[in-house]
Amino acid sequence: MSPPRIALESGVEGERCLRLSGHWTLDSIDTAHRPSLGGDAGVGGKGDGTIRVDGAIEALDSAGALALARLIDDLEQGGARVDLTALPAGQRNLVELVKARLPPPQTPRPPREGILARIGRATVAKFTEGNAFLAFVGELVVRGGRLLAFPWRIRWREVVAEIEAAGLRALGIVGLLSFLVGMVMAYQAGATLADFGANILIVNLVAIITLREMGPLLTAIIVAGRTGSSYTAQLGTMRITEEIDALRSIGISPFDMLILPKIVALIVVLPLLTVFANLLGLLGGAVIAAYRFEVSFSVYFDRLPEVVDLTTLMLGLVKTPVFAVAIALIGCMQGMRVAGSALAVGRATTVSVVQATFLVIVLDAGFSVLFNLMGY
Amino acid sequence: MGDLDHITSEATVSPVARLSGIRNCFGHECVHEGLELELPAGRIIALVGGSGTGKTVLLRTLSMLRRPDAGRLELFGEDALAAGEDAQRRLRRRIGLLFQGGALFTALTVLENVMLPLREHTAVRGHWLEELAMSKVRLAGLPADSASKYPAELSGGMVKRAALARALALDPRLLILDEPTSGLDPIAAAGFDALVRELTDSLGLTVIQATHDLDSIWRGSDAVAFLARKRVLAFAPAVELAQRDEPELVAYFRGSRSAEYAKLELGRSAHTSGRT
Repeated sequence: MSPPRIALESGVEGERCLRLSGHWTLDSIDTAHRPSLGGDAGVGGKGDGTIRVDGAIEALDSAGALALARLIDDLEQGGARVDLTALPAGQRNLVELVKARLPPPQTPRPPREGILARIGRATVAKFTEGNAFLAFVGELVVRGGRLLAFPWRIRWREVVAEIEAAGLRALGIVGLLSFLVGMVMAYQAGATLADFGANILIVNLVAIITLREMGPLLTAIIVAGRTGSSYTAQLGTMRITEEIDALRSIGISPFDMLILPKIVALIVVLPLLTVFANLLGLLGGAVIAAYRFEVSFSVYFDRLPEVVDLTTLMLGLVKTPVFAVAIALIGCMQGMRVAGSALAVGRATTVSVVQATFLVIVLDAGFSVLFNLMGY
Repeated sequence: MGDLDHITSEATVSPVARLSGIRNCFGHECVHEGLELELPAGRIIALVGGSGTGKTVLLRTLSMLRRPDAGRLELFGEDALAAGEDAQRRLRRRIGLLFQGGALFTALTVLENVMLPLREHTAVRGHWLEELAMSKVRLAGLPADSASKYPAELSGGMVKRAALARALALDPRLLILDEPTSGLDPIAAAGFDALVRELTDSLGLTVIQATHDLDSIWRGSDAVAFLARKRVLAFAPAVELAQRDEPELVAYFRGSRSAEYAKLELGRSAHTSGRT
């Protein structure tokens, strides 16, 4: 395969001849530059008069045609008239087609914004985001309040489906992780307490931490990652495929049909999952206490009611509906804000998990302060 | 490079693609059984058939996206199903595919969408790469300033054109179009048909397009492959299909609207009988 060659020859009576040869194809043209007169012909292309294109191009594709069209355009800019009649009809058609739609030599680029403009845009975006969250909460209160007055209007079928997806199917992962964290806590507590011969206090430590903090927090974070993200991805994809708009056009409020059932379901599910997580966490602690630190199961579970009471359990559980609302709200809001492309769904899902996890931990810290002030 | 000499030497005699004994099944349902089809080089062929006759499945088979359950697929004279990975890559380079919804990469601008196959399959880089891609964007009939837009910012017709630009990026010999004019208004659709015709003639393409558009079938195509009874029931110019009397063809080609086209086109071909 020979590279494209150009030669500009002077003929009789000032008529010049552009002699072309070689393969004018994508693979034979130099990969970074197209052939040009300055480099390849060694003759300046300036001057008027007619230039006849001649020679035998062995193969021509649209890349070669583009290079040739650009060349002819340059010559014509210089004042010459280029005559293509000597080319075979097929090649001439192709060159003329490409030449008729020659792109501008420089690809137009949208002007880049200055640093101030970008800072401003980011700031406005943050405010808009906060605003959207408030608007979303407002809509929830108005619509949710109305539905609370007429609870038979809630779409219970959807609620039950969501409970199954977010609760029943999460039992495995929530249970396993709680069990493991219970074990880890018992190990760490036992290692220190055993030095003082106070092995029995493992029960106090594991039980209080599990019921008050670890159970609710761990469950909420797992649910934020597992269910909150799926809410965002589902609603975001439905936005892109215009399913949300389709619902609206049928006269079904997507808020009633999609969002409210998710929130109601999560409010039901999260406390239940937390109780389950508490149980498995305590069990994990018991296993390590029994096999590693000589606190038998019977001693462990005998002591349990002495160190924690119902208040401890409730102090943990009372936080969970708040977590549930936060997770569902952020998941749904991020999903409903998706616009444009598949990329936006991915981005919104990430933002949803980060924000939900962040908010859960912040809320938990707030509860700790509150309970402390209340004297618990 | 056998695939690049198509401009110099006139249309090769051997067909661009040959499907034989193709069977495509989904579970127990078979959409194709013993399907035969040959695509003659340099022609625009319309793939026609009712809903569920497997037009898209056939195009996916042809573009090596779906392996048929049985049968033989020959592309440019090579057995595509027995080809190794490298050979398949080479074959794919010679096929341009336009998906029904455009399937532009939403994370990339139009220009980047067109540059992607060029970057993947050739050593072209830098300014020349951009210029080549830009030329394809213009060839597809898009204004230069749309090159820096993202697919989400384009109208339906522009998406189709941008997808066409990407399909044309590597100078394919076979262009496969899945419903190229669906969702376009009649004027835009006619423009798209004209564009495909112009590109076919100048670039030496062979085109197969699945379509429901009567304009595309009657005016925009050289021949029609009619899918029915799990195979290509008939393969001939639309004018001839309109005169045959298989019940499926009668239903499709002598429906009220189609009949008007038939009358028009038959009258026209009677006047200019020398036309091929």
